[in-house]
Amino acid sequence: MYELDEKLKPYYMELDPAKRLAILDAMPEDDTVKFLRTVYNNRYSDHENRGRKNVDWWLWRCICLQQLCNKGGFFKKFREREINTIIVELLMNDSHESLMYHEYRNVAGRYLSTCRSGNYASRFMGFRQASDDEKVLKACEDIWQMSGGIAQVSGFGEKMRLWCTAFHDELAEYDAIGHEEYIRLDNQRRK
Amino acid sequence: MNENKFMSAFKANAIWLVFIAEIAIFYYFNPKFLSLPNIVSISRQVSYYGIASIGMTFVILIAGIDLSIASIIVLVNVVCAHLMMNMGWNMWIAIIVSIIMATLIGVLNGFMVATIGIPAIIATFASQTIFRGLSYILSGGLPIPDVLRYAPEAGLTGDPTLGFFARWSLNHWSLFPRQGIGLIPVCAIIMVICFAIGSFILNKSYFGRYFYAIGGNEEASELSGIRVNKMKYLIYALSGFFAGLAGIIVLSRTGSAQASSLVGFEFEVITCVVLGGVSVAGGIGHMSGVIAGVLIIGSLKSGMVMANVSEYTQMVVQGLVLAVAVGFDCFSKKRQAS
Repeated sequence: MYELDEKLKPYYMELDPAKRLAILDAMPEDDTVKFLRTVYNNRYSDHENRGRKNVDWWLWRCICLQQLCNKGGFFKKFREREINTIIVELLMNDSHESLMYHEYRNVAGRYLSTCRSGNYASRFMGFRQASDDEKVLKACEDIWQMSGGIAQVSGFGEKMRLWCTAFHDELAEYDAIGHEEYIRLDNQRRK
Repeated sequence: MNENKFMSAFKANAIWLVFIAEIAIFYYFNPKFLSLPNIVSISRQVSYYGIASIGMTFVILIAGIDLSIASIIVLVNVVCAHLMMNMGWNMWIAIIVSIIMATLIGVLNGFMVATIGIPAIIATFASQTIFRGLSYILSGGLPIPDVLRYAPEAGLTGDPTLGFFARWSLNHWSLFPRQGIGLIPVCAIIMVICFAIGSFILNKSYFGRYFYAIGGNEEASELSGIRVNKMKYLIYALSGFFAGLAGIIVLSRTGSAQASSLVGFEFEVITCVVLGGVSVAGGIGHMSGVIAGVLIIGSLKSGMVMANVSEYTQMVVQGLVLAVAVGFDCFSKKRQAS
């Protein structure tokens, strides 16, 4: 959908923040790199100022979106307010669509990189590890909840369009069943 | 309301419907079940279950477990009674010291789980055995009786009627006089306050967010900047703290400390929490469900006593309820995945 510039490919393919910064520093300074630096600083800084180190604020907000998706109707107003805040924080209104699309995919990719670990989707307090299929299904559900799911529940579908597309595409690339599962979850909720 | 919304509202509140159905059944067989004295009695009975289940909820939310809470409660009983009865400590200081000790045991559990990396079930089982044993050593295997009668209070040492435990005991723990119009046991009020605090932590504080996040995907939480190990320390410490508080309530109810009491209590608390919809896989659950779970178990116990069901049969029923609650959680997960 949004072609990736060959020059920027290594930056967007890299998931480690320190390595990404090194790649960014090595690039000649122009408007695009300036913008990428702004996004980088926004993403990897502690917006709550709790003195935490190695923060991936956007990844944290993904997790928050997933939690908000699971929250009941009682917290509807609270949820809408928070989603609005997240939309602003994640620069979803920004005009650099192509760059933002790939940054969002990078966030989704970083989340998905944790979904093959031993503890992920385990049961009975970690005593029973999940099979690979179970992990993929759980990853699909997580990714859907933090994109399509929350957009549906909150009614912010239009504002979150780019975000949802990026997450969907990243999931489709992550596993063969990713695309189908995302669509299935989307349709199931719509019913 | 369309069908989908109705179904989701039904599912979200199903646990409360179970509670209402349970009450209706017990009321049908014995109308005294809904009498005021019995309701007050149930509220006293569930208070320590409720308080202990708050800490357990936090622990299960991060896909952990705390099998040591019964031993912590018993040790708090024994230590608090020992400090007051045998060492003549002021009651308030004894209570504070006991609760701090319970919290530190929670920190120890956190250390074993987070820093050493022992699976929670093994680490807390070890704690359970250690602190149950310590309770026996401290009490010499004998009960410490008459805590209510001799509990010293500042300036009122030995006065059985004015002592804190005497006034706030099983028979007198009421916000208003027993003969008065309002019969709200203070232990039930403490439980409600604790639930409000627990609910606030889960829904309104960033700690609650962290708990859910760690239970949902620990590695992603770590990458996002959450200090997972510190959170685990905090959660097990909170579990210890609430167990300690429950221990003080138990002591004030029974008036004696016994190292052999509350065997299997941790499983009853786990039943309350899982029945309330907190997933054993972690990351899913709400405090309101846990309140319903606590009330269901409390009513079930009371109803069975009123129906003259033997103690052994009660154990069978409680075991079945735990199996059904966990089984339902696993079944729904499996169905979701297929």
